[in-house]
Amino acid sequence: MQTRPAITTTDLNVSYEGGVPVLQNIACSIAAGSIAIIVGPNGSGKTTLLKALLGIIKPTSGKVEVLGLDPAEARPRVGYVPQRFVIDHSFPITVYEFLRFSHPDVSEKRINEYLEHLGMSAMRSTRLGALSGGQLQRALIIRGVLHAPEILFLDEPASGIDIGGEQTFYDLILHLHEEHANTIVMVSHELDVVARFADTVLCLNKKLVCHGSPEEVLTPQTLQRLYGKQAGVYHHHEKS
Amino acid sequence: MDIIAAFQLPFLQKALLAGLILGLVLPFLGVFVTLRKMSFFGEGIAHASLAGVALGVLSGADPFLSALGVGIFVGVMIYILERKTIIAPDALIGVLFTAAMAAGLVLLSLQKGYQPDLISYLFGNILAVSSYDLAVIALFSAAIFAILTIFRRQLTMLALDRESAWLSGIRTELFDFFYYIILSVTIVLGIKLLGIILVSALLVIPPSTAKLLASSLRGMMIGSILAGELAVIAGLAVSYILDFPAGAVIVLCAAIFFIGAVISRTFVQHS
Repeated sequence: MQTRPAITTTDLNVSYEGGVPVLQNIACSIAAGSIAIIVGPNGSGKTTLLKALLGIIKPTSGKVEVLGLDPAEARPRVGYVPQRFVIDHSFPITVYEFLRFSHPDVSEKRINEYLEHLGMSAMRSTRLGALSGGQLQRALIIRGVLHAPEILFLDEPASGIDIGGEQTFYDLILHLHEEHANTIVMVSHELDVVARFADTVLCLNKKLVCHGSPEEVLTPQTLQRLYGKQAGVYHHHEKS
Repeated sequence: MDIIAAFQLPFLQKALLAGLILGLVLPFLGVFVTLRKMSFFGEGIAHASLAGVALGVLSGADPFLSALGVGIFVGVMIYILERKTIIAPDALIGVLFTAAMAAGLVLLSLQKGYQPDLISYLFGNILAVSSYDLAVIALFSAAIFAILTIFRRQLTMLALDRESAWLSGIRTELFDFFYYIILSVTIVLGIKLLGIILVSALLVIPPSTAKLLASSLRGMMIGSILAGELAVIAGLAVSYILDFPAGAVIVLCAAIFFIGAVISRTFVQHS
């Protein structure tokens, strides 16, 4: 039986102002309930692809369907944890206000549960701008998962978190994935994360270079093709 | 006559009521204006509305209504040009408000003789607020207050981060458009009280005062409104006692509260 796709893109093209292409002819399909991880060198368009799937960036041409809908219509059913969140440190919004305003329909009890689960209860009334990088990332993770999204988009989500927090984070993501059978689309530079979690790997370098299971994709030849000289860095890492 | 007895006078009662209404709406909206770093927008719309006042003076129409029209037009133009050109918003506002002010001055030069309306619109004259003015201010302010209360979540998210606003289901472009219009209308309303020169003070000073002391958004909203209302009450009372221009004294009171907040925050940080 064929699994229905959670996401499909058809000839997706995105260009920045002045016509500089960022994504070219991306045609892919991500199965519902799977974990798909996007890999690629810096500037390959990974974040842009994620934002196009979220509807934050409008395609120059081509089509994106999320849960069979236009990305704008699918917003209540998806969650997003960005790589970076630039905030004015003087903005007087507390962690609780941020979560409440992001998800007005979610109960206070649920917000408190997630705050506790990610060790953020003590920060409930702290201003968002006063959090450390790791604490802010946890707040963003809570925002991303609070409404039990059918698709969770993660852009290098564990980048600002310490090792202990990283384990808690991946445990939470896997727990949600098992409990709700949601789809996860993640950008990651960490090949061990890709090998551990991915059902499908999408190799991106402005174009979709290759895609398949980690066993099919994480080969020295593919990595060389994708990263060029940078493939040596991973080879060195594997030996040590 | 003591100050309590003075507020039995109908003209002072109207002034106080108009001041309290605008002291509620301008600082409330001002929370979003300052968080979005759009203080110059307020200044620009206020100055651009001079062209509307001039049109009213020349045509015999109500200068408030023509100023409202020009204010909304300039607000919408800023919204469109921000999205259609590569010019920075502050430069766009600079271009539009100076052009509109220049047009206003040219139009006014066509009118001969003393122009009391112009002086009143430039510097405000809260003590001359008529029953009609009060009704207009109350009607518009009630609508604006209701909109701000109902959509404070959307306006906050837009001020915090556009991507977050989009992801939380907000139609960001549509809300921005209405925000620009509401801002333009509120500023023109405030001109009746403080005049073109000083109106943006109530939009900027009370929220800035509250921001210094508040630890939450709710605190900033309540603090901003309180600071605005106190400035209006204290300003009217002091201006009556010392016979100073009411609008200017209201702004000075707001500025004194701001200085107090700066000192208090500095003291708290060092203690």
